[in-house]
Amino acid sequence: MPFKSFAVTAAALLASSIAAANTLNVYTYDSFASEWGPGPKIKTRFEAQCDCEVNFVALDSSVGILSRVQLEGEASEADVLLGLDLNLMQSAKQTDLLAKHNVDTTDVQTPNGWSDEYFVPFDQGYFAFIYDSEKLETPPTSLKDVVENQDLKVIYQDPRTSTPGLGLLLWMKSVYGEQAADAWAQLSEHTVTVTKGWYDGYSLFLKGEADVVLSYTTSPAYHMVAEGENKYKAAEASEGFYPQIEVAAMMNSAPNKALAEEFMQFILAPEFQNVVATGNWMYPVMNNIEPLPEAFSTLPEATKVLTLPAEQVAKQRQAWVNEWLEATTR
Amino acid sequence: MAAFVALLSYASPSDWGRFIDDPYIWRLVRFSFLQASLSALLSMALAIPVASCLYHRRFAGRQTLLNLFAVSMVVPTIVAILGIVVVYGRHGWFTSVFGFAFPLYGLGGILLAHVFFNMPLAVRVILQAYGLIPDSQWRLASQLGLSRWQAFHLIEWSYLKKTLPGLFLLVFMLCFSSFAVVLSLGGGPRSSTLEVAIYQALRFEFDLNKASYLSLLQVAICSTVALAVYKFAPAVRQDVSVYQGQRLPLRSGVLPNVIDGLSLSVVLLWVLPPFIAILSPIVSPLFWHTLQANDLWWSVWHSVRIALPSGLLALVIGLSIAALARSVRWRSRGDWLADKLEQSGNLVLMVPGLVLATGLFLLLRHLGIGLRHAYWIVVWVNAVMALPFVLRAIMPTLYQQEKRYRHLYEQLQIFGWSRLRLEWQQIRTAMAQGLAYAVLLSLGDLGVVALFGSKGLETLPMYLFQLIGSYRVEQGGCVAVVLILLCLALFYGITRLVGGRRAVI
Repeated sequence: MPFKSFAVTAAALLASSIAAANTLNVYTYDSFASEWGPGPKIKTRFEAQCDCEVNFVALDSSVGILSRVQLEGEASEADVLLGLDLNLMQSAKQTDLLAKHNVDTTDVQTPNGWSDEYFVPFDQGYFAFIYDSEKLETPPTSLKDVVENQDLKVIYQDPRTSTPGLGLLLWMKSVYGEQAADAWAQLSEHTVTVTKGWYDGYSLFLKGEADVVLSYTTSPAYHMVAEGENKYKAAEASEGFYPQIEVAAMMNSAPNKALAEEFMQFILAPEFQNVVATGNWMYPVMNNIEPLPEAFSTLPEATKVLTLPAEQVAKQRQAWVNEWLEATTR
Repeated sequence: MAAFVALLSYASPSDWGRFIDDPYIWRLVRFSFLQASLSALLSMALAIPVASCLYHRRFAGRQTLLNLFAVSMVVPTIVAILGIVVVYGRHGWFTSVFGFAFPLYGLGGILLAHVFFNMPLAVRVILQAYGLIPDSQWRLASQLGLSRWQAFHLIEWSYLKKTLPGLFLLVFMLCFSSFAVVLSLGGGPRSSTLEVAIYQALRFEFDLNKASYLSLLQVAICSTVALAVYKFAPAVRQDVSVYQGQRLPLRSGVLPNVIDGLSLSVVLLWVLPPFIAILSPIVSPLFWHTLQANDLWWSVWHSVRIALPSGLLALVIGLSIAALARSVRWRSRGDWLADKLEQSGNLVLMVPGLVLATGLFLLLRHLGIGLRHAYWIVVWVNAVMALPFVLRAIMPTLYQQEKRYRHLYEQLQIFGWSRLRLEWQQIRTAMAQGLAYAVLLSLGDLGVVALFGSKGLETLPMYLFQLIGSYRVEQGGCVAVVLILLCLALFYGITRLVGGRRAVI
């Protein structure tokens, strides 16, 4: 056995346990912590003010964050969970692992305002279908267009395994209500495929496998800013968009509670909020920031927003997933 | 094993009644069964003529092809899917050549992808079986003027048929639990696998009870298939001769030429184009740009740091199981025990990786071992997951040695380490292959490392998914090329260093 690597690891462990006194452990999802994500900038900016070290633990998805702390329980070394979303809030609360925050969220700019004692939102966006404007001459202008146009090849994500997939499930439910099952059946007639995660579906779309793919209204901004590519557009939705709000929470068992509280405050500060637009390709949740890049002004504006109450979502999600399964496998 | 039991301890079987009458689950099982059987049969049907052709013929590019075959199963699924889409997709090469689109989404696409992953694996396993045929038999065949067909019928088949049941099972189980491929190319929730339901229960609902039920169901189905397959499997009767001499060519005719040509071109048209599509970013300027990223090289280092020890560990565990199995084989009532030992390695394949890792996680938490040891946990889990492949690689050769020299060793009282040293020259090729497979599998792993993920464990596949997860699909493609090249280099290095110069395959 490689004794040397063991020794090195042991030394590293020792070092890390010494440093732990002033380390903030933030569990987040991989693309947030990656070098192109907002993670590195937020790390430097927070470290500049806190005299501490921020340690991002990158997990595979936002669900991954939750299931990791569920597995770890009270013994978790996490201080802050960064990257849960609206639809995971209820199950996250039920774990009894979260602590209440004392952040003032009155200035938060989310649809219907924000008041939650456990969660602080850090960015937001809207689910939308993305199309290639050079290939699709008459793009859909509503969710109904996407569902009913049998010539439109659609890719979306599985609501059982991915966040946007679940978002579409709720979007469909809030537009179609009782008729959702029929709408799903109609959509499944011209669905190319239903992928496991966001990236599978989006990359298949980029390879030209579908006319539209489920993503976020902000996705075209990435192509414009990072690639200088203007052909990708988000389809309008006359019924209204369904929002996605990403949130952070503090752990009850946080080893470094004071730092965790400081970080929760920091989330709404301009230093954090300025990074999310071009780091995470989402909208910030505060007004006190620099203007967004030019590209964001070309995106469809969510003048109308649909939402379902969180309790209802938590209670009926499984039933709606079953309805979707039933309708699409008929 | 313990990990699985740990998860089961969270189960309450009394609730399972309500899961059993879920019609969707049974539809899933039926579909999984169909797609896995078809994938396995198709992979084998193609692999047999190809392996025979590759064994008998030497041509330029043969070695490259074999090396490529070795890495096909570690290509990250999303990369393989995108490669397949470039070839068979709506605007793919297939469409531009034939003028109509290949019906990719549905059973067709799933089979296409599964054969892409598993046929190369099957070819390599079968070629290993060919390696067991003593050269004296080929000499005889040549002297008698046997044609390729006669040689296949009289010699090769009797070796092949011992390998095929196990191989079928291996591919079947890999396809039965395949996840991302089935969802992405399945064309909707009609095509799905139990693994999806397990993932959902474990990740979204954190319903350990349901997850245990579903994993047990999967284990039960795979075990039933395994039992059925082993019923047909001929008893292991290794040849005693291990003579290796000069190889004499066989008489070739029109028919073998046609079959060789046909099977090779099917493979070249099936497996090679997606590979070309996957490797094509190498010529783009973005590739060189990607190479300059510091994080890339860090992740390469993290990957190697996990893969090498975990490969070694897998080989050591595999060797222990194999040594135990062969020491009881051919003794009174020993065959039964040996079979069980061999099959215990396969159990790992039946239990979904995520379940195994989660179970282990709970077990370790119970024992009070924290995630500070995440590195060792990942190494260990990866080693266990590679076990079935290691066993498949080393078992036949070890059995052969046992059958041939057992009495000699016993008479001379040579055991343990000294025996291993004497045997080394004979078994090093197989050992190298086992080690190389284990290292490659660990290198390609994503599930385990993602669950235990922490600082210092950001491996190459994780880096790739970070890129794809932040819209950088093209750059992700470049990282995939790096991953494949790294796999090729390690595979070549290990087979040469450990296997020696005689390591042909």
